[in-house]
Amino acid sequence: MAKDDDGIAGSKTSLSLVTNLSVIFLVVLWLIPTVGLFVSSFRDRDAITESGWWKSPFPTQENIAVQTEGEFVETPEGWVLTGNVFGEEGSGEIVAFGGSRAEPTAFAPGETGELVRGRTLQIAETGDFTYFYPDEPSRNPTVYIAAEVPPNFSLVNYETILESAGMDVAFINTLTVTIPATIIPILIAAFAAYALAWMDFPFRGTIIAIVVGLLVVPLQLALVPMLQFHNQIGIGQSFYGIWFAHTGFGLPLAIYLLRNYMVGLPRDIIESAKVDGATDFQVFTRIVLPLSFPALASFAIFQFLWTWNDLLIAKVFLPASSDSWVMTVKIADDLLGSRGGDWGILAAAAFVSIAVPLVVFFTMQRYLVRGLLAGSVK
Amino acid sequence: MNKLLTGTAIAVLTANMAGAEAHLTFMPGEGEFTWDSFQEFAGSTDLSGQTLDITGPWTGDEKVKADIMFDYFEEATGATVNYSGSDSFEQDIVISSRAGSAPNIAVFPQPGLAADMASQGLLTPLPEGTAEWVADNYAAGQSWVDLATFEGPDGEEDLYGLFYRVDVKSFVWYSPAAFDEMGYDIPESMEELKALTDQIVEDGGTPWCIGLGSGAATGWPATDWVEDMMLRTQPPEIYDQWVNNEIPFDAPEVVNAIEEFGYFAKNDDYVNGGAQAVASTDFRDSPTGLFEIPPQCYMHRQASFIPAFFPAGSEVGVDVDFFYFPAYEERDLGNPVLGAGTLFSITDPSEAATAMIEYLKLPIAHELWMAQGGFLTAHAGVNPNVYADASLRAQGDILLEATTFRFDASDLMPGEIGAGAFWTGMVDYVTGASAEDVAERIQERWESLN
Repeated sequence: MAKDDDGIAGSKTSLSLVTNLSVIFLVVLWLIPTVGLFVSSFRDRDAITESGWWKSPFPTQENIAVQTEGEFVETPEGWVLTGNVFGEEGSGEIVAFGGSRAEPTAFAPGETGELVRGRTLQIAETGDFTYFYPDEPSRNPTVYIAAEVPPNFSLVNYETILESAGMDVAFINTLTVTIPATIIPILIAAFAAYALAWMDFPFRGTIIAIVVGLLVVPLQLALVPMLQFHNQIGIGQSFYGIWFAHTGFGLPLAIYLLRNYMVGLPRDIIESAKVDGATDFQVFTRIVLPLSFPALASFAIFQFLWTWNDLLIAKVFLPASSDSWVMTVKIADDLLGSRGGDWGILAAAAFVSIAVPLVVFFTMQRYLVRGLLAGSVK
Repeated sequence: MNKLLTGTAIAVLTANMAGAEAHLTFMPGEGEFTWDSFQEFAGSTDLSGQTLDITGPWTGDEKVKADIMFDYFEEATGATVNYSGSDSFEQDIVISSRAGSAPNIAVFPQPGLAADMASQGLLTPLPEGTAEWVADNYAAGQSWVDLATFEGPDGEEDLYGLFYRVDVKSFVWYSPAAFDEMGYDIPESMEELKALTDQIVEDGGTPWCIGLGSGAATGWPATDWVEDMMLRTQPPEIYDQWVNNEIPFDAPEVVNAIEEFGYFAKNDDYVNGGAQAVASTDFRDSPTGLFEIPPQCYMHRQASFIPAFFPAGSEVGVDVDFFYFPAYEERDLGNPVLGAGTLFSITDPSEAATAMIEYLKLPIAHELWMAQGGFLTAHAGVNPNVYADASLRAQGDILLEATTFRFDASDLMPGEIGAGAFWTGMVDYVTGASAEDVAERIQERWESLN
């Protein structure tokens, strides 16, 4: 930053510092859920239920029940069982131990714990234990130890998702839905927007008003009648149907957005083209379309993201069989388990399914900003 | 697979054997399954080339198990079954039937929705004679017939659904190791259960884990408690009147049952995390308290499906077990059992759909899922030895030996009550409102429906 000499810049700098800080604060605040989801996507279901994601990077102390193995040896004083709580080959370090589930951390390592009925238990830090029974034991006892458990992250959730049968089909299906469902409405809307912006015909204003009015119609209202209509014209539940549906539901916004952008293009260019003898079609393809590229791109991003993430329309307008599942349906109905309890899978699935939209967004985002601003600033 | 139309049942089956080995999970003719009925069905039904579309609420693992059961239908008839499960089945089926693209058969998770759709003419009554068959062949048969008998669009009553797969709700889950170490015995009566609850508190423990959280459906686990308490404090006739609103929701009998639930849930000493935590704990997370060391709680009352949410690697019968949620000894109401179940209904009639209903009457259709676990049936003709483990067999016995079986009341009440006011009312109750106020508000809502 350039250095200010005029003496009044101090206030400006502190103000911009406040601005920066509040921006950073807001960004962090907005990112927290995403970070949490991301961390959770590397944890398994049990770990997620047990502790919050913010605790996951730190080692935790966990109480573990160990069923002892081996046989008690009879000695003059009583019966003695020796062994290692981590098994023959395992190793670890214990922090505390106990002889009952209710008090799993009653004794420190090395101590001799006095248990019920004159039994004693001694466990060293390495896990070597000696269990003493004054009378003959009927079964092997369980011992309880507390041990430090290192943080445990794994890619299992991602593996489950990526390797599950039919995921490739679901991915292709999603592309089959989204690409035409993005391109078709743009094509139609661009023509319509040009006509509504630059061609004179009766009731033009009324039509624009109707299009704006259609923006507020909730699409849920149209699900049953639209599917009925599809059944009547014979396309039923199919990819044609879902393209049709997405096109219909996307058109009002597309026309509205593109028309507002096109109407803001300089009148002079279009009029001089017409004076030079250009037809409306030539004006549209040669002048208006190239100039409207930012608006087209920004709408394409919107429509792509919305169709990619859609679950409702896909469930209604596509057949229910698993070979026409899109990714969202596959995740919700197949991967999340019988009653939706697998949070880890849910988190990982969210990141798998946003990968493609992220690529689309970052490659086209400069158009998005321009497209959104264009028309609003004269 | 080509089938010899002229062969006898046995010949058909032998012809299929070679191919069957490749893709069938259980070999026909082997194990303790009731194969005779299957062979007879296979010999008398041929639907080659037909397809049967089925949608239902089973997804994930349950879909895999259901598909295996449907495989044998395909094997027997030559038809192709397309089963698809949906997480939002209740919404999907309404949309697709109204729009005219319904599957042949829909598997309803509760009768309330099926009754609604039957009254709108979206369901087809099951073939004649099915009602008599169910009454004769299911344990407590007539009650299953009544539960699936709805008014059609013309006001005429018919049997619209065949129950397949039952959940029993009256179970208390506990850790045998924890009970053993503390010297607790399985309570045989409600009096003993209450005494045990106090005993655990005295020993410094927390007796219960109760969680009502379930997203948009938060509160439903409490409705099961209240229903179980209703059956343990009132005769079943009163329960039926409550379900139909013949006695008001704020009748003293109902308020008393809510307070019986409150006896456990509204006592800070009795519940893990205190009474305040009951409403906010997710029902899926709440049983994990049984497995923690030291135990966060010793008992958890939940339906037979809950082992799906136990921590990975825990085994029913070893790490965790269940006992029947006992009845009051002094009241002499027998051993009531509360349950729920899924029913098959025909949404788009076809020859294959009728054959599927016939297939579901066979013991084998039930045994095929019993052997895979996570399945109980009221079909009295099945071989209980097929159950995947001893614990399921014990659950099945409780179901078959119940002196009174009643269906989950909230599933039978109108949706706005049973899947709305009742749920939210229970959340209000555990967070502070009195049982009278809550019951009164639910009753007002019910009256406003009519």
